[in-house]
Amino acid sequence: MKLRIKITKDDSIRFISHLEYIRTIERAIRRAKLPAAYSEGFNPHLKFSLASALGVGVASKAEFVEVELAEAVELKSALQALQASLPRGIGVLEADLVTKKTGKLMALTRGASYLIKVPCLACDWQSALDEYNNAASIIFAKALPKEKYKTKDIEVKHFVPKITGSYEEGIIELSFDCAITPTGSMKAIEVLQVLQKQLGLPLVLEKADILRTDLYTTDEQGKKQPLLNNHD
Amino acid sequence: MNNKFPIDILSQVKKPARYTGGEFGSIIKTAAETEVSIALAFPDIYEVGMSYLGFKILYHILNKEPGVAAERVYAPWVDMEEQMRTHNLPLWSQETAKVLCDFDFVGFTLQYELSYTNILNMLDLGRISLYAECRNEEEPFVIAGGPCVYNPEPLADFVDFFVIGEGEEVMIELMQAYKAWQKAGKIGGRKSFLERVAQIKGIYVPSFYQVEYLKSGEVAQVTTSNKLAPAVVTKRVIKDLASISFPTKPIVPFGSIVHDRIMLEVFRGCTRGCRFCHAGMVYRPVRERNPQLLKQLARELADHTGYNEISLVSLSTADYSCLAPLIRELITELKEEKVSVSLPSLRVDSFSVDLAKEVQAVRKSGLTFAPEAGSQRMRDVINKGVTEQDLMDAVTAAFASGWSTVKLYFMIGLPGETDEDILAIADLAKKVQYKYKEVTGKGGAKVTVSVSSFVPKPYTPFQWSPQDTIDEIRRKQFLLKDALKVKNITYQYHDSVTSVIEGVFARGDRRLGKALYLAWQSGAKFDGWSEHFSYERWLNALDAAGLAKEFYANRQRGEQEHFPWEHIQPAVNRAFLWREYQKALQAELTEDCRHGACSGCGVCPELQVETIDWKEQGNHEAEN
Repeated sequence: MKLRIKITKDDSIRFISHLEYIRTIERAIRRAKLPAAYSEGFNPHLKFSLASALGVGVASKAEFVEVELAEAVELKSALQALQASLPRGIGVLEADLVTKKTGKLMALTRGASYLIKVPCLACDWQSALDEYNNAASIIFAKALPKEKYKTKDIEVKHFVPKITGSYEEGIIELSFDCAITPTGSMKAIEVLQVLQKQLGLPLVLEKADILRTDLYTTDEQGKKQPLLNNHD
Repeated sequence: MNNKFPIDILSQVKKPARYTGGEFGSIIKTAAETEVSIALAFPDIYEVGMSYLGFKILYHILNKEPGVAAERVYAPWVDMEEQMRTHNLPLWSQETAKVLCDFDFVGFTLQYELSYTNILNMLDLGRISLYAECRNEEEPFVIAGGPCVYNPEPLADFVDFFVIGEGEEVMIELMQAYKAWQKAGKIGGRKSFLERVAQIKGIYVPSFYQVEYLKSGEVAQVTTSNKLAPAVVTKRVIKDLASISFPTKPIVPFGSIVHDRIMLEVFRGCTRGCRFCHAGMVYRPVRERNPQLLKQLARELADHTGYNEISLVSLSTADYSCLAPLIRELITELKEEKVSVSLPSLRVDSFSVDLAKEVQAVRKSGLTFAPEAGSQRMRDVINKGVTEQDLMDAVTAAFASGWSTVKLYFMIGLPGETDEDILAIADLAKKVQYKYKEVTGKGGAKVTVSVSSFVPKPYTPFQWSPQDTIDEIRRKQFLLKDALKVKNITYQYHDSVTSVIEGVFARGDRRLGKALYLAWQSGAKFDGWSEHFSYERWLNALDAAGLAKEFYANRQRGEQEHFPWEHIQPAVNRAFLWREYQKALQAELTEDCRHGACSGCGVCPELQVETIDWKEQGNHEAEN
């Protein structure tokens, strides 16, 4: 069996890195004494994975962990034990048990939703968003993580077709879905960079408050479906 | 929860998780639960401070006490300090973002002399007056403890009082004294509280002592200027570790820290009697924890932390009397949870290699041994009690078990050292390398020779010795470098300018406070980090304070000289230290009192304590 759990990364710990987040969950699983499966060999690893990496500084209401179990668990008590073993900044929301053969969550994940609050000087923000939403193509030079100074051109609209927004007291609130594909995705901050540099929105990027509100999969029609409790 | 740093600051600094707290196991008390608050302040970055077992213990002991809230504070790294100063943000605690100046106590640990400028910097960032005499009634008491507290004099101007020795009991007495004083309406103000604590055993209030100097610059005498202060402050010691509580729910950090594993303290003290070793002199006597209790603690720690490694820590873990059976039991006990056992250091013998074999069944990452000196004569001078044969036995066992990488630690600049002694280091390294060929029939062993320069410390037999000058150390370093130009031998050494300043402060007096202040004022901080250390800045500061580094570091001190630190007592008596110094100069050995004759250091009778050794204890019980 595999245990799939939806958890948060709250504001208070948003600045821990993905690696730190992973390590924290691994230790929490061990503290909770969930009967997790381990890899074979001299340095056994706990068999678990996360659906999608989250950048440093990004908070989330929907992170998904998948743990391979060595024996069956009772869902409710397992979740209670896990919650008691997690630091204050990580909350357990819901969970689901699936068979071992079910595909990995990581492979199932098709997109992420974001809600962003970012300071923005007074401007015609609506036209900028309209221009974005109506554009057929927007190319972004994405920095390659392992090679300094090298970039790869990607099609932004392929990942984020539409952005909606509202404006109040110097803060623009943006929300959008960003596709996650086998060949890659975009970080929320990169989408903001596109809005700032290519559409002229005067955003104060270093103050961007980014919240991932959901991760989802899609059905045959391309419609968004939840990651948990959607199997037969 | 600590959420006070704005997003734009945290997104611009390295490793922002250092500053945001919220770790599993951190303790947050409400204002209603807090009668006394204390910040445990580590004068270095988070990753270093979080690895310090002493603060894990105090955090646990203090927070267990009703009405006491202990929180943590670390030195911000330079990028964060810049942000804080630019945005006028003060230094605050990890737990509740309480500014340093709002605590009742700010307690620093003195782990190494080169962290002293960070203490001043943290006080400044925490909005606390640097000089103790300038602090008003609203400001916290700045206190300090830890190994360097056996010569606290260079910090006397900045610290309200020092806590000498093991802290578990005295810190609670201190918290109770504060509660009582608070209940009495803080009558008499700061001075009255200082008078109260001066009467607690192990507490040293430097402002109640006067130092007079001779024309030569040496200390003439230290007298008390307040009749409530004792003439001599003797360290506190826990007689039996079974009487104190060990933290089994330590904070588990998010990021990786220097020692990111369970740390289980197996014993305190060490009586091997290495003459250069400060810890070996000031933490006497040896007191082991009961092996059954250790097993139980290990179990709880594994359950509560989720770590997959446990390290058995002490000054010399291979000397734990029941080590082999303990390790076997721990391995079996924790196998299910995939927790591995590790040893922080090895003794130079084949017994240690056998243990290393047991604990790291696979990872043949390399073994480290510390013969400390190259020649037998020099090893006898420092009373290391290790022979070349011991080292050869150890490396033979290591090579036969599959290791091919060995690291050897040495010191240069030891008292009475000659060029032959230096060259003997190279010879020994080559013999180790050759041993590999002899044992395995092939070449290719990697030997790393790591050399540090010796700094004489107070309360060691070498407290009278001159430290080698920087030119002499450099000459010796290059002498050895030439002799070690051999394939597959790596030679590691550091430029020793930092050890000059370390040496000055280790055996310094109160007058250094001025130099410390001036160095800090001209930007000194993180002096232990070579990229931030400026020798020139320190030379200027000493100069401006009218002090000479040679007076403190490079001078042969007389048998009768009164040292600046003698009113602070680890209970190792001066006659013993002088005797050991004289024996060192004759290259005579002194045996470990744990298994041999009492060497007369004076600790046991003075402190009413005795060695606790579970193997011998067990034998006694069997006899009865």
